[in-house]
Amino acid sequence: MAIVERPTALPELPPGAAVTPRPLGVFTRPQSTTGWRSWLTTIDHKRIGIMYGAAAMFFFLLGGVEALFIRAQLAAPGQALYSADLYNQLFTMHGVTMIFLVVIPLGAAFMNYLMPLQIGARDVAFPRLNAFSLWLFLGGGLFLNSSWFLGGGANGGWFAYAPNTGVVFSPGHGMDFYALGLQMTGIASLAGAINLVVTVLNMRAPGMTLMKMPVFTWMGLVTQLLLVFALPVISVALFLLTFDRLFDANFFNVSAGADPLLWEHLFWIFGHPEVYILILPAFGIVSEIIPVFSRKPIFGYPFMVFSGIAIGFMGWGVWAHHMFASGMGPISVAAFSLSTMFIAVPTGVKILNWMATMWGGKLSFTTPMLFAIGLVTMFTIGGLSGVTHAVAPADTQQTDTYYIVAHFHYVLFGGALMGFLGGMYFWWPKVFGFKLSDKIGKWHFWLILIGFNLTFGPMHILGLQGMPRRMHTYIADYGFELWNMVATIGSFLIAAAMLVFVANILVSWRAHRLNPVSPGPDPWDARSLEWMVQSPPPAYNFDPVPTVSHLDEFWHRKYQENADGKVVRVATGAEAAQPGDSTDVHLPSPSYWPLVLAIALPIIAYGLIFNLGIAAAGGLLVIAAGFGFGYEPSDDPESHHGPHGNGHGDGHAQLGDGHEAGAGSEGEPEAGTAGAAGGETEPVGVASTASATDEPATDAEGSTDG
Amino acid sequence: MRTRLRSRRALALLVPLLLLLSACASDAPQDTLEPEGPIARKIDNLVNPVFIIAAVVFVLVEFGVLYLVLRFRQRKDDDPDELPGQTHGNTKLEIGWTVLPALLLGFVAFATLATLFDITNTKDDGLTVQVTGQQWWWEFTYDTDGDGKFTDEDVLTANDLVIPAGENVGLEITSRDVIHSFWIPKLNGKKDAVPGRRHPLTINADEPGTYVGQCTEFCGLSHAYMRQRVVALAPDEFDAWLERQQDAADEPTDADAEAGAELFASQCSVCHLARGINDDQFEEAGQGTSELVSENAPDLTHFASRGAFAGATFDLWEDLDGDHIVEADEIGTANGGRLNRGDLEAWLRDPPGQKPMDPVTPDQVEAGERGRGMPNLNLSEEQIDQLVAFLQTLD
Repeated sequence: MAIVERPTALPELPPGAAVTPRPLGVFTRPQSTTGWRSWLTTIDHKRIGIMYGAAAMFFFLLGGVEALFIRAQLAAPGQALYSADLYNQLFTMHGVTMIFLVVIPLGAAFMNYLMPLQIGARDVAFPRLNAFSLWLFLGGGLFLNSSWFLGGGANGGWFAYAPNTGVVFSPGHGMDFYALGLQMTGIASLAGAINLVVTVLNMRAPGMTLMKMPVFTWMGLVTQLLLVFALPVISVALFLLTFDRLFDANFFNVSAGADPLLWEHLFWIFGHPEVYILILPAFGIVSEIIPVFSRKPIFGYPFMVFSGIAIGFMGWGVWAHHMFASGMGPISVAAFSLSTMFIAVPTGVKILNWMATMWGGKLSFTTPMLFAIGLVTMFTIGGLSGVTHAVAPADTQQTDTYYIVAHFHYVLFGGALMGFLGGMYFWWPKVFGFKLSDKIGKWHFWLILIGFNLTFGPMHILGLQGMPRRMHTYIADYGFELWNMVATIGSFLIAAAMLVFVANILVSWRAHRLNPVSPGPDPWDARSLEWMVQSPPPAYNFDPVPTVSHLDEFWHRKYQENADGKVVRVATGAEAAQPGDSTDVHLPSPSYWPLVLAIALPIIAYGLIFNLGIAAAGGLLVIAAGFGFGYEPSDDPESHHGPHGNGHGDGHAQLGDGHEAGAGSEGEPEAGTAGAAGGETEPVGVASTASATDEPATDAEGSTDG
Repeated sequence: MRTRLRSRRALALLVPLLLLLSACASDAPQDTLEPEGPIARKIDNLVNPVFIIAAVVFVLVEFGVLYLVLRFRQRKDDDPDELPGQTHGNTKLEIGWTVLPALLLGFVAFATLATLFDITNTKDDGLTVQVTGQQWWWEFTYDTDGDGKFTDEDVLTANDLVIPAGENVGLEITSRDVIHSFWIPKLNGKKDAVPGRRHPLTINADEPGTYVGQCTEFCGLSHAYMRQRVVALAPDEFDAWLERQQDAADEPTDADAEAGAELFASQCSVCHLARGINDDQFEEAGQGTSELVSENAPDLTHFASRGAFAGATFDLWEDLDGDHIVEADEIGTANGGRLNRGDLEAWLRDPPGQKPMDPVTPDQVEAGERGRGMPNLNLSEEQIDQLVAFLQTLD
């Protein structure tokens, strides 16, 4: 598709000649680049990233309200604020929402927005597929949540152990929504993952070798590779469940000879890599924030990268630690116990390297830095309790108790979410062109840190005191009262902290409206390429595509060694940044087919549950949208690309050329060769671009980046 | 401002530590850190050093970060253009802090494997009980006819698993419907009850006493109300108990109880059996297989000899000494126990109102559907009194 997006070579036209528009009927591509319609048809990775983030925060609100309902019910023993069945739906949907509709898409938001910018690309490899991923994720998420109005949510837990999820034990439609909804968000994530893997591997700016990529992009790449291999497993499992429920198959029917442990294995073979899918993007974010606010490069870049890769590999060999009580034999238990312990090693390396990055630095405690330190300190607690689960005999006491709930909230909230919130404060000025208030941000941080520890700290105690998870109520006098009440109070404090965040966005936005002060391209004196473009970045990101000679390329354009061998500032961020005033960069046109295709799939899903005729209609729409996707012209002749006829040679690289240049540059840091290798249709292309504009930067050779 | 922020940060960091330390202090019958049997103690002996190691690492990291934050902060009088030393890494150091945790974990791994195989290889001392989970109660089967199989001819009981104290008792854990998990924290870790599979677990209680636990694998609507108790008796008392369990129920003598027995035979035989009372009716009604998904309801032959009912959700006898657990010496009128009449009557009046369940209505039964749990039988108050009088005689 990347190739489809590239405009075919246009014939030379005499100056002033008019291009005759050709009518393209139903396949005409939409053109608007402003207004709400443009958001529906956009294929700009930045807008898609923003929408991923906004949708994730909307689902975060839903999942958070579900959590507050749970905590309200558990505030005191023996309460019955609502029915046990509703409780089971609430905790199931809380888990499903937070994992599949909040943390995964938040990661997707950051990776979509930042990875092309960090590698110096103009967009992702398959921009329309990217839009499809977004809309299908949103469609799947809304489909899942529509179950609340269509008979009730899923009630079998996010882990959905068979046979409790069979029709006999869960006769409502909740689990059908679960299976089909997650199937769709899975397809969305899978398409997005392939897209980003291809983007990172093929579209890096000239000179950006793999080992010059920012740590965030590295962690993003590992995450996307994990998704590529993990999602098919859950897809298979969900298909089996769907067939069991809708078509009376017997995959998990014990009386027909099934072994329910099949589901457990399939689920966790996906489920544990999933944990690293959730946490690695946040690790990447923190690895960007800490160096900037320590004013030092990341300590041990290769160790950071390879520990991330090691986590990615070892993450495949630990899944059965979720099943130490499931009745596996002692040899299996021993093996998974060992592998789980040793995955703590690369994780520990990361913690220590972050600390070493701070060592000897000049730390400034902005809000993003506070959240980053929050991740380091809180994730450590989750990591340590994780090691205690790896001790298999101990885990037989801990598993399925609140000790586990405490553990994974320290990992996913204290880890992933802290990282994402820090990332929002960090990149907010880049994305929206105004900073969030640091003062309110600090209130946000401290409230959330305290609320978080009040909520989940006591759950360690509850679990060790023997309180199982997933109970709609508990009996008095077992020592559970005090800590449940504390946890409930803490959860409402978290809610208050998130209101402070919303207030911060509104207040800061209003202040910016009244007194627009641009934060500039580089408000934090940062290090990677996304800070080299204006805030917010122009649609085309880079023009020209920069040539990279260092890790932390942008920083090296601002700081260089002087004659005494001392590193001094040679340029401000604004000076080193691109002006972003190009007007004639060709970009692929928007498209509405991704949206149509993404709407068609939930129609099939509703049809499978309620009426097969609707499913057939949805199927026809899928076919139609597939044709639309395929036969849509690669470009709209009516859109304006600037002076095409003579514009290519003057240093403005096309998107397509950028791709090729990136691919060509693998292992070849010299931009000139890369450009020459890549210039398929345009003999001048990137090579001239690079040499024309990157002269000052290449002088940075021989500075501190050894 | 800055000092205040810092002290608050220190406080915030200490919170989880203080919480962890206070974990061992309170009175909790399901506390995992207060083992009362040799197997659970082996786990505890393994957990303690691991927690200590984790606590040391925790303190090092958290106070390390605190130190960094205090020591290396940007100061007001710093030249903003002056960069700190630009170290890029230190391979020896990094290899060091890769190898060191690996060694530490190697030690933990060694201790883990030793304990794991020790516990797995613990054999029973002669008694094996089948433990069967179903929505939402536990059945225990003792192979009293000695054929090496667990069948309906053997002693069946529910809610209270009675064992001899001081002996390793083998459990064979299985399920009749969904996955459950059997757990008595003070005696051993948990083990899942998976339909179609039999999972071994060994428990051992130091002293006679009652040990509580509950189902720990989410099993649907009433997961919270699927509880179980282990009653450990002195070995000779256990033998007497098992002897008594093999008897059929005594014929009731007083008028109310007799009426209750008749009522029981006519109203309850579709699901429940009390040997010696309704054998024929139970046989006729299909041996309990018709109404329930799990095709099984508790055998009530010695109902009154148990400390709890309805999946151990409610105490059957009053907790006279106020320790929140009904002990063996509080069970049975002859023992000086007092029936918990209130909860039992409420249960008979409206079972699904007392515990969330999904029973079938008579219409659904006609349609061939099966439910989960006990339906409301719309008994009159007089009938309830008669049934309670009868149930009390099933000791």
